[in-house]
Amino acid sequence: MEMINRYIYAVTQKLPQSQREDIAIELRGLIEDMLEERAGQGNGKENDVEEVLLELGSPRSLADKYRGKKKYIIGPELFDTYILVVKIVLIVMSSLIGIGFIIQTILEPMSILDHFIDMIVSAVTELPQAFGWATFWFAIGELYGGTKQKDLIGKEWKPADLSPIPDEKRQIKRSESIVGIIFYTIIIVFLAFSNEYFGIWVFQDEFNGVVPFLNEQTYGSYLLFIFLIFGAGIIKECLKLVAGKWTYRLAAYTTIVNVISMAAILFMISGPDFWNPEFMNQLVEAGVVTAGSEAFDTITTIWNQSTFWILILFIVGLVWDPVDGFIKSRKK
Amino acid sequence: MTDAKEHLDKIMQELRRGTITIGALSQLSEPQYGYSLVTMLSDKGIHVEPGTLYPLLRRLEKQGLLESKWDTNESRPRKYYLLSKTGKEVFDLLVTEWKSIAASLDQIIENKRGDENGDD
Repeated sequence: MEMINRYIYAVTQKLPQSQREDIAIELRGLIEDMLEERAGQGNGKENDVEEVLLELGSPRSLADKYRGKKKYIIGPELFDTYILVVKIVLIVMSSLIGIGFIIQTILEPMSILDHFIDMIVSAVTELPQAFGWATFWFAIGELYGGTKQKDLIGKEWKPADLSPIPDEKRQIKRSESIVGIIFYTIIIVFLAFSNEYFGIWVFQDEFNGVVPFLNEQTYGSYLLFIFLIFGAGIIKECLKLVAGKWTYRLAAYTTIVNVISMAAILFMISGPDFWNPEFMNQLVEAGVVTAGSEAFDTITTIWNQSTFWILILFIVGLVWDPVDGFIKSRKK
Repeated sequence: MTDAKEHLDKIMQELRRGTITIGALSQLSEPQYGYSLVTMLSDKGIHVEPGTLYPLLRRLEKQGLLESKWDTNESRPRKYYLLSKTGKEVFDLLVTEWKSIAASLDQIIENKRGDENGDD
């Protein structure tokens, strides 16, 4: 009896709540009927239960039959792309963590053990995070894609609806998107986890530290924007990878994603606390330049104007991307 | 030989899937519960696993071809299934379709045999 209970539980556990009770009663009735028939033929009781359950098959396959259709977080259509993206992100991140360890060890060989522990901690915390986020966004895509497919079935299909084979210029090269994803992943990992190395490296005989570009006090609060900007970039490349060609819809998505990135960049970079306010002083302290010299003036000018130019660079890039997309979508 | 058997099993599985529906519908002008249906079909030479039939009955009920009622008077509660009005219509149409398929296939197979015999 215990084994029957277990079996019924195992089957109904995999079914929607609303059907569980009904199916459980029906299934119990069925098993008892089957046992009764066997008992008529005169066999040992315990053995009968096992035989009956074997005949019904594994709880998983029976539950599958009751459900009728399989459920996916990420369905077969997106699965290949999903695996590709996860692979890229994980490989890039692990190599960066490894490279980070090597660089840190070269710079400060004395604390190799600390660096090693850092590396392990990074691997354990960051890799699952990256995996989780990739899965999350693909699951969202699956949800959205699922409803889209339902809409399509409703319409009657005509051969005239067949879209022309995209012009070579309209196609998006896989390699392009892959390079994009690698690039964004590198930037995220670098800016998020080793921003203290993002600056001017000072060497005098040996490594003397870094004069950082960013304001370390306020940096933590900007981290969210970093993730938003470059995470949006990865999502954009994934959309391109799935679509395979430029369409108005894809170009529209690209525009939306880029507008969000742009807003985040504007907000972040124009804030007064983003850049290291002591940058010039620290440069002087580190002995890279002497205050008042010609070099000092030149660097000060570059430093003060850099915000403006970086902004221009980003905006040109972010505007060009969808514009290019729309132009290519028009080609038939 | 085992290879042929494997292929046969797979194809038969696909082939049976549809015929079981016809078989089940054919027996449900009178209310039946799942296991009585299994026995009835089995007596008539159609072997169907309960694990296949029970989910099928549920699906047909959901589609509106069957109606169901729980009978709690007997020693154990049983769910009885019966053809609905739509179910009857569908079954009649299915029978016509099936006969035409069977006839066509018969003809094709017989012709082929005839050809082979002619070659010998």
